[in-house]
Amino acid sequence: MTETQELPPEVAAEAPTWEAELQRVGFIRRIFMARRWYGADWWFVTISAVMVLGFIIVAMFPGLFAPHSPDDLVGPRFLAPGAHPDLPALILPSDSPDNELIDLAVPSDQPRPIVAVVQGVPTSGALNEQAQVIDNQIKNEPGGLRLRPRIERYATLEEALQAVVNGKATAAVVQSLEFEAISAQFPTLREGASITGERSTAGGFFLGTNDIGQDVLSRLLWGTRIALIIGFSSSLVALFLGVPLGLFAGFAGGSLDRSLSLVMDSLYAFPGLILAIAITAVLGPSMLNIIVAIAVLYIPTYYRIVRGQTLSVKEEVYVEAAKSIGARNLEILQKYIFPNVIPSVAIIFSVNVADAILTGAGLSFLGLGLPPTIADWGIDLARGQRFIQTAWWMITFPGLAIMLVVLAFSMMGEGLTEIFNPKLRER
Amino acid sequence: MTPITLIALLIGVPAFLLLTYVFIHGSAGLRHYILTRVGLTLPMVFILATLVFFVMRVLPGDPVSSALGPKGTPEMLARIRTQLGLNDPLIVQYSRFLGDMVTLHFGNSLMGGHRPIVDEMSERFPATLELVIPASIFALVIGIWGGTLAASRRKRATDYALRIYSVIIYSLPIFWLGLMLQLLFGVQLNILPISGRIDPVIGTTIKHITNLYAVDALITGNWPAFGSVAQHLVLPTITLGLILSGVFVRMTRINVIETLQADYIAAARARGIREHVLVFGHALKNAMIPVITLIGLQVAILLAGAVLTETVFSWPGMGSYLVERISSRDYTAVQSVITVFALLVALISLAVDVVYSLVDPRVRY
Amino acid sequence: MPDDSLYSVRNLTVEYQTRVGIVKAVDDVSLDIRRGEILGLVGESGCGKSTLGKALMRLHTGPARIANGELWFDGRDLMKLSDREMPDVRGAEIGMIFQDPMTSLNPVQRILDHLTETIQAHEPETSGAAARTRSEELVERLGIRRERLNEYPHQMSGGMRQRVMISLALALRAKLVIADEPTTSLDVIVEAKFLDLLKELQKEFGLTILLITHNIGVVAEVADRVAVMYAAKMAEVGDVNDVFADPKHPYTQGLLKSVPNIRLEEGELYKMEGAPPNLLHPPIGCRFHPRCPFVMDICRTREPAFEPVVGGHLVSCLLYQTANVKQEGLHA
Repeated sequence: MTETQELPPEVAAEAPTWEAELQRVGFIRRIFMARRWYGADWWFVTISAVMVLGFIIVAMFPGLFAPHSPDDLVGPRFLAPGAHPDLPALILPSDSPDNELIDLAVPSDQPRPIVAVVQGVPTSGALNEQAQVIDNQIKNEPGGLRLRPRIERYATLEEALQAVVNGKATAAVVQSLEFEAISAQFPTLREGASITGERSTAGGFFLGTNDIGQDVLSRLLWGTRIALIIGFSSSLVALFLGVPLGLFAGFAGGSLDRSLSLVMDSLYAFPGLILAIAITAVLGPSMLNIIVAIAVLYIPTYYRIVRGQTLSVKEEVYVEAAKSIGARNLEILQKYIFPNVIPSVAIIFSVNVADAILTGAGLSFLGLGLPPTIADWGIDLARGQRFIQTAWWMITFPGLAIMLVVLAFSMMGEGLTEIFNPKLRER
Repeated sequence: MTPITLIALLIGVPAFLLLTYVFIHGSAGLRHYILTRVGLTLPMVFILATLVFFVMRVLPGDPVSSALGPKGTPEMLARIRTQLGLNDPLIVQYSRFLGDMVTLHFGNSLMGGHRPIVDEMSERFPATLELVIPASIFALVIGIWGGTLAASRRKRATDYALRIYSVIIYSLPIFWLGLMLQLLFGVQLNILPISGRIDPVIGTTIKHITNLYAVDALITGNWPAFGSVAQHLVLPTITLGLILSGVFVRMTRINVIETLQADYIAAARARGIREHVLVFGHALKNAMIPVITLIGLQVAILLAGAVLTETVFSWPGMGSYLVERISSRDYTAVQSVITVFALLVALISLAVDVVYSLVDPRVRY
Repeated sequence: MPDDSLYSVRNLTVEYQTRVGIVKAVDDVSLDIRRGEILGLVGESGCGKSTLGKALMRLHTGPARIANGELWFDGRDLMKLSDREMPDVRGAEIGMIFQDPMTSLNPVQRILDHLTETIQAHEPETSGAAARTRSEELVERLGIRRERLNEYPHQMSGGMRQRVMISLALALRAKLVIADEPTTSLDVIVEAKFLDLLKELQKEFGLTILLITHNIGVVAEVADRVAVMYAAKMAEVGDVNDVFADPKHPYTQGLLKSVPNIRLEEGELYKMEGAPPNLLHPPIGCRFHPRCPFVMDICRTREPAFEPVVGGHLVSCLLYQTANVKQEGLHA
């Protein structure tokens, strides 16, 4: 053979020996041994496989990971990531066992709790309202607890807080952000819950909220399910249609092959997104229609590769030899052609899923895909675009999510290509 | 003369002359090849057109009532349907569709002013062209240079960095990249505009000859306009070009690596030809041959990317036109746009094949 | 270094980095190539002869590298040259003819351009026209009509392509021509013509030729001396008549016996026992000992030195080595 093989003939002749040794080693060990051989490509595939697994788990059980439901309006609008909603919060002495407003309830024969507020600020109204609501709830319960706080107004924030420090008031109710601004001056005080019970401590909305108050993080996690469903379903449909067609065309040949290939080539050359747009535009927005549209896009890919491989394997001498000893067509297809085709199909599949997710997100971004009630990354991005000046987190995180999922799948495909494609192997 | 005709002539006439020259001067092999390719293009266009027709007409969904909305009375619906020929048998509709397509008779928009679609496309098409051409050049330069560099420094840091680059770029949703660029340069740094082709005030000063604003501004010496167009072009071009470059880097790298392993490269090295001549001269040239074909296929990605980029940047091109018209259920326009896209794809595919045959002598003889 | 030696290789080791470890494709080999001779380098596939050939020009890239050795070509050690200086030697002073001329020629480059590029790479002041003229003269001397220079490689026959390869090696009057399995891809008649041409050119241009091949018949026909390699080491070197008449190394003996002779009766084909060793883990002691019909105990533990037996005939076999074995320099 020629001189530019990666291994000199002297070593290539030895290949069967170590391959034989390899057969005796278990699968898991083989994976780790492969690390030495394939170098960086092994890392590519392994890291991406881990990522893919992670995404699949999140997609299957989004409820486990998401703090809120994606459709509920759980917070204030346009809350930046990690920011605190500015709510009226209960300020208590650090050693106080209470946390929420309801904790201040006392039996009717005890002195009523004193709550300090700042004069002229509407918090007292909210406090009154909230206290009444809670009181109505608990007054008929056994135990005889009532919540009828006495409200003391102070001229400034500092004086109100000082009252709590001095013990003149049980607690204070002030805007949480204002308290945080000067909390250093009152080291013996701490912030409790907001008086309406919503969380006001940090990290409530890890990635912020969107324009109508939904939690971005929860929508992100639930969106994983949609993205993966679209990605996997459309790729699988395309695979189950494209691979048999390709096998058949490559094997049978003739005018059927030529005409089918002409159709597939034309389809393949056409911009995928635009075809998908056309199909969904006519069929209407729904999950099923998107899957169908995207599947149609990828059938030619599977068809071409499988057909090409079938054709080249068909020409191999060993197939001719098999035929000459009487192997039937179906057998040849099964034993020789199919196994050769599988690695390529695996690679195409992972790249396809990546592409399908991208196309699906693109379609929903354009408003042509899913109905807008579903929590989907593309839709969120489209929504976020209107608020790009004020809420950067609405567009940053969904897009990042898309990128990471697509990255995981394409890295896997890329790594697998380097491993399976012998021409590019070195070392 | 509409701008679209002007552009068609500017590109079409030299292409035709070149083709004729090659045809006459080339060998019999070359002639045969070109004829075959041209011959194959027709069925391709035919198939795509049929597909468009099929998608638009036969699948469920009533274009007319959606377009007219609740205002449409049954009589109006019936009248328009007859006008558009929607009541005729399918075969008749189909042949009329084919005829219309061949004569580029696109009809009128179903919306509002019922403008001839040709006019609307005359405004939109140059806009897309103005975006797509610089983006392609950008992508090609980065892609080919980067890919070759990665191939020549295989298994070293530069190679891995460039491979990671191309994988990340490939995974980036193009519309997200556009949004992020808008956020960074438009909103936070506020140094570049984020929508439109040109500042609206300056835009009134442009004379529309080709509808390629940059060209028009240059021809008429309208420097403020040129500057404004250039500014508006930056972000969309980078968005589209960057995404494309990822694909090109990867393609070029793989092809150059394969080529570098060829025997004739080793043989040339044995004759004392220097390494950089081998990589950038011989290997790259040979690697370009399959890459040319692949570049042709990227037109599909280019058009799809253009649709998304135009939407993000409110760029008034064919892509955003398509999306707008779909939302408003203007099916005549949608059909026309897709037909034009199909024609474009077929033509470019043909052009790529002809160029391929010129570059690779093995094909001709 | 002896006066009549054009190329003196000393203790050359070439290593390949593979997935499963380091392989020494050429292991501590020393060899002299005399001026004006045709030296045949033979051995089985995988013995290291091609690797040795490429190493002479420091042509290895990627996973292969010269780990050790001195390459004294025409008075200077090529190992001391930088990567920038080495291309000046290649093509101009040492030329190479490859095995498969179809793949060794650039399919999208005309023959003429192959030649002019080589000429102008080494003599940049040559004009295009002058380079063209030189190329035309060169190919005509080799029996190719000058009009064919405008053609592409796939338009020529195999024999013609191989002659183009020769012309490329000779374009700059290289002193040493390394021919790496040049006739393996040719049929017998073309091969015979090729060898005749080679001998003619050697006389005319005063060439020194290293002919690498696994075909002993070719060596017998054209070579002056022969070197036999086995398992990355040099087994035997000597005058071709001496070695063929009286092969010293048991491997060479087996090799010569394996050549089918038309006068043999049925059933008399000879086959050597065993197979070439795994170069990842070569045998301890003499590498040939597992297959040697004359193996002694000492062969399993001690490696033989490469030493003269009689005059210019060198062997690495303990059968011929005295008790006080020492590594000595090579005298060819």
